[in-house]
Amino acid sequence: MRGRRWLLAFAVLAGSAAVLGAGAQNPGRFQVRNAYVELVNGVWRLDVSLDLGLADAARRAFEEGVPLVLRLEVEATVERRLLPAREVASLTLEWQVAYDAIAERFVVTDESSGEHVSHATQAEALEALSRVSGIAVADTAALPDGKRFDMRVRATVEVGELPAAVRLLLVWKGWSRTTDWYAWKVRP
Amino acid sequence: MIRRWLPFAFGAGFLVWVAALVMLAMTAEGPQRFGEFYLLILLVNVTGVVALVVLIGGRLKDFVRDWRRHVPGSRLRGRTLLMFGGLAIAPLLLVFTFSVTFLTRGIDSWFHAEVRQGLTDSLELSRAALDMRMREYLERTERIAGRLAGLSRASLYFALDDELRAAGAEEFVVTSAGGQPIAFSRAGLLHALPAVPPEELLMQLRRGQPHVSLQPAPGGGYQVRAATSIRAAPGEGGRLLVATYPVPQRLSDLAATVQAAYQQYGQLSYLREPLKATFVLTLSLVLLMALLGAVYGALYFSERLVRPVQDLIAGTRAVAKGDFDTRLLRASHDEIGFLVTSFNDMTKKLARAREETERSRAAVEAERAALAVILARLTSGVISLEPDLRVRVANQAAGNILGVDFSASAGRPLAEVAAGQPLLAQRHEVLQGRFEAGETEWREQVTLRAEGSRRELVVACTALPGDAGAQGLVLVFDEVTQLLQAQRQAAWGEVARRLAHEIRNPLTPIQLSAERMRRKLMRGLAASEAELLDRSTQTIVQQVEAMKQMVAAFSEYAKAPDMHVSEFDLGALVRQVSDLYHAQDSRVAFGLSLDPKAALLEADPGRIRQLLNNLLTNSLEALDGTSNPVIMIETKRVGGQVALTVVDNGPGFQSGQLEQAFDPYVTSKPKGTGLGLAIVRRIVEEHGGEVQVDNAPQGGARVRITLPATAREARRAEARREKA
Repeated sequence: MRGRRWLLAFAVLAGSAAVLGAGAQNPGRFQVRNAYVELVNGVWRLDVSLDLGLADAARRAFEEGVPLVLRLEVEATVERRLLPAREVASLTLEWQVAYDAIAERFVVTDESSGEHVSHATQAEALEALSRVSGIAVADTAALPDGKRFDMRVRATVEVGELPAAVRLLLVWKGWSRTTDWYAWKVRP
Repeated sequence: MIRRWLPFAFGAGFLVWVAALVMLAMTAEGPQRFGEFYLLILLVNVTGVVALVVLIGGRLKDFVRDWRRHVPGSRLRGRTLLMFGGLAIAPLLLVFTFSVTFLTRGIDSWFHAEVRQGLTDSLELSRAALDMRMREYLERTERIAGRLAGLSRASLYFALDDELRAAGAEEFVVTSAGGQPIAFSRAGLLHALPAVPPEELLMQLRRGQPHVSLQPAPGGGYQVRAATSIRAAPGEGGRLLVATYPVPQRLSDLAATVQAAYQQYGQLSYLREPLKATFVLTLSLVLLMALLGAVYGALYFSERLVRPVQDLIAGTRAVAKGDFDTRLLRASHDEIGFLVTSFNDMTKKLARAREETERSRAAVEAERAALAVILARLTSGVISLEPDLRVRVANQAAGNILGVDFSASAGRPLAEVAAGQPLLAQRHEVLQGRFEAGETEWREQVTLRAEGSRRELVVACTALPGDAGAQGLVLVFDEVTQLLQAQRQAAWGEVARRLAHEIRNPLTPIQLSAERMRRKLMRGLAASEAELLDRSTQTIVQQVEAMKQMVAAFSEYAKAPDMHVSEFDLGALVRQVSDLYHAQDSRVAFGLSLDPKAALLEADPGRIRQLLNNLLTNSLEALDGTSNPVIMIETKRVGGQVALTVVDNGPGFQSGQLEQAFDPYVTSKPKGTGLGLAIVRRIVEEHGGEVQVDNAPQGGARVRITLPATAREARRAEARREKA
C-alpha cells in the first residue's frame, strides 16, 4: 500500500515535470545541418550550416535584449590501433548576437577577432550566424600525411550574461541547447 | 569521539550559516552580488538541510521508538518537543512571510516604472540627437553625390578625397549599382579594400530611397552610414555613394552608455521573476534550515530536559523495587539538580531506614523464633486469636491436646477450624460465649468430652494489648486429665492402703473369735441354738473372708510396683489363663486370635497374668446371664507395640460408666470391688502401655491394651509420656 502511494507520487511528479518541460521548451530544430572541410592552400577550412531553432525562453530573452552566444566546437582526431583516438586539432569559436537599442540593429560579434556585423532584423542576424564558412581548422602539417582523419562538430546556443545561480536553478527553462556531434571522415 | 566534536561542528556550521545569511542580505544590493554569492549560499543551506535531516531523522527514530515503547519521559518529551517546535516555528514562518514580501518588493523596486520610462526617454533622446546628425549626414551625402555625378573613374578618386576631407567623413565608397566598389577614399590607412555594402542597403537604394543608418563601431561607439545614388554620366552605369561618418565621441559615448543601461535594464527586467523565484527559493531553504534547526534544537533540548526526569523516574522505580542504593548524578545546579539532590538524600535516608528496619525485623524474627521454640516446647497449649476470633498462631501442644492439626489454620476463623473437631468445637463454644459477653480476661477448668473420653483442661484467656484496644486474644490451656487421674489414683491408693491396714488387722481376731465361739459354745447348746450359732459364726467367717479378699484387693491396688521383667510367651500365657477360666466355667466359649509376631513380650509375667485374670473375671461376671457367652482374646504386633484386646458379648458398659471405668470402686456388679479395671490400668501404666475401654460395635465390652514389646520400647514410651 505504501509502495503504491510512493509510485503514485512519483508518477504525479514525473507528469508535472513533463508538462512543465513541454511548456518551457519549444522543440524548434537546432542541429548541424551540414559540415565539411576543404583544403585551401594547405589549410583545412571548415564550412558549417546550422539550423538555429531557439527555445521559447531563449527567444524571449533575446528579444528582451539578453545576448545570445553561439559556441562551435570542432575536433579532429586520428584513429589508432588498440589505443584511443589521438586529437590532432581542437577549436572552439564563439559569436555573440545582441540587440543595440540605439542603432536598432542586431549585432553579431566574433568573440575571437572582435569583428562585428550588424543586421536590421533578428532573422538576418540568425541567418548570418547559421552559416559559418572558411574557418581554418588545421594545416596539413598537423595532420598525418595522406591518412584519413575524423572530424566532428557541435554547436551550443545559450543565453549569455545570466547570473550563474539563475542558470543553475532555471536550467530546465531551456536557456541552453546543444546539438549532437556531427561527425564525418575526411580522406585527403 | 564523535560526540566530543559534535558541539564544535555545530558551532562551525552555525557560523557558516550565519555568514551565508549575511551574504544573502548582501545579494539584495544587486544581481552582481547575487551571482557571486548565490551558489555558496545554496551550497551551505543544502548541506545544512541534508545534515539536519539526517540528524533529526536519527533523533526522531529514537523518539518514536521510545514513544511506542512507552518509555518513561517520552510523553513529556513529546509535549516539550511540541511546545519548543511551536514556539520556534510560528515566529519563523512570520519572519519568512515578511522576508519574502520585503525581498520581492525590493526586487520590484529595481524596476520602477519611472526608471524604465527614464531609460526609454534617454534612449529616445539619444536616438533623436543621432537622427538629426544622421539626416544632416544624409543631406551632406546627397549633395556630394550631386557633385560626383558625371565624373569619370579617374577623376573620381581625387574628388572623393577632397570631399572626404571637406565633409569630415571616415570613408566614401563609390560602387556600381550592384555594389561593387569602384572608388573609395578613407581617412587613415588604406590597409584593406572596402567591403561590399550589405544587401539591405542596396535593396533600399534600388527602390530609389536613400539610406542612412546608425552602425555600432568596431572599437565602440557609433558610426553613421549614409548612401545614395549618383546620377550616372551618359554611357555609364548607375553608381552608388556609400559614406561613413563618425559620431562625435561625446555623443557616441553617451549613446553607448544609454544603450548599455537599457540593455542591462531589459535583461534584468526579463530576469525579474526568475530572480524573485530564486530569492524565495533561497529564503525557503534558509527557512527550512532554520525550521529544521529549531526542530533539532527542540529534540536536543527536550532530550536534555527530560533525561534527568527519566533518570528520576528510573530511580523512583528502582526505589519502588527496593533498591535504595540508587544514586543519581547531579548534572546541573538548577531545580532539576536540586530535585536530584533531594532524591539522593531521600534514598540515603531510606537505605538507613531499611537497615534499621532490617535490624529491627531481625530482632523481631529472633524473638519470634525464640517464642516459636518456646511455644513448641511448651506442654501447655497456646492459641493466639485475632479480635474476630481468627486463628493467628497455635503451638503443637494445642493441637495435641485438642486433637487438631493447626498447621494450616492461620488466618481461618476458629469456628471453621473447629468444624468436625469435637474438642475444639466445645472449646470454641465456651470461648464464643465469653467473647460475646465481653469477657477477655478469665481462667477456668473445663471438661471436654468426645468419643467416650474426657479431657480436663485448665484454660486461661487474656487480651493482647495494642494501641487501638485489644489486638486479639491468647488462650493458654493445660490438660490436667492425667494429673487429676493421678491425684485420684494416689488418693484412692492411700484410701486402699489405710483400709487394708485398718480393716485387715481386726479381721483375723474376728474370724478366730467367731470360730472359737462356735467351738466352745456348740457343745453346750441345744440343737436349734447350736444351729443358729453355727449359722451365725459361719456368716461371720464368710463375711470376714469376703472382707479379707476385699482388703487383699485393696492391698494389691495400693501395693507399690515391684516389677520382675522377663521375656515370656504372651500367647502361651493367654492360652493358659483362658484354659483355666474355661475349666471353671465351661459354658463360656473362648475365642483366641494370637499373632505369632506378638508371642514374645518383655514384661512382668505375674502382673500380666493378674491383668488377664482381672479382665477375664470382669468378663465372666459380665456374661452371667448371657446366652452363648463368648470371650474373644486377640494379640497383635503393631510396630514396637503389642496390642491385647479382650471382647465379650455381654451387656457392655452402661452410659456414663466409660468415663469412670478406671476409677476405683466404680462398678456395676453387686459383688464387685470396683478395683479390677483400676488395677488393670495400673499394671498397664507400670509397663508403659495404654488401655482403652469401649463397647464393641457388635455389642459387649471391649478392652484394648497396648504394651511395649520390649523394655526398651517401654522406656521410650515412658519418656514420651513424661515429655507430653
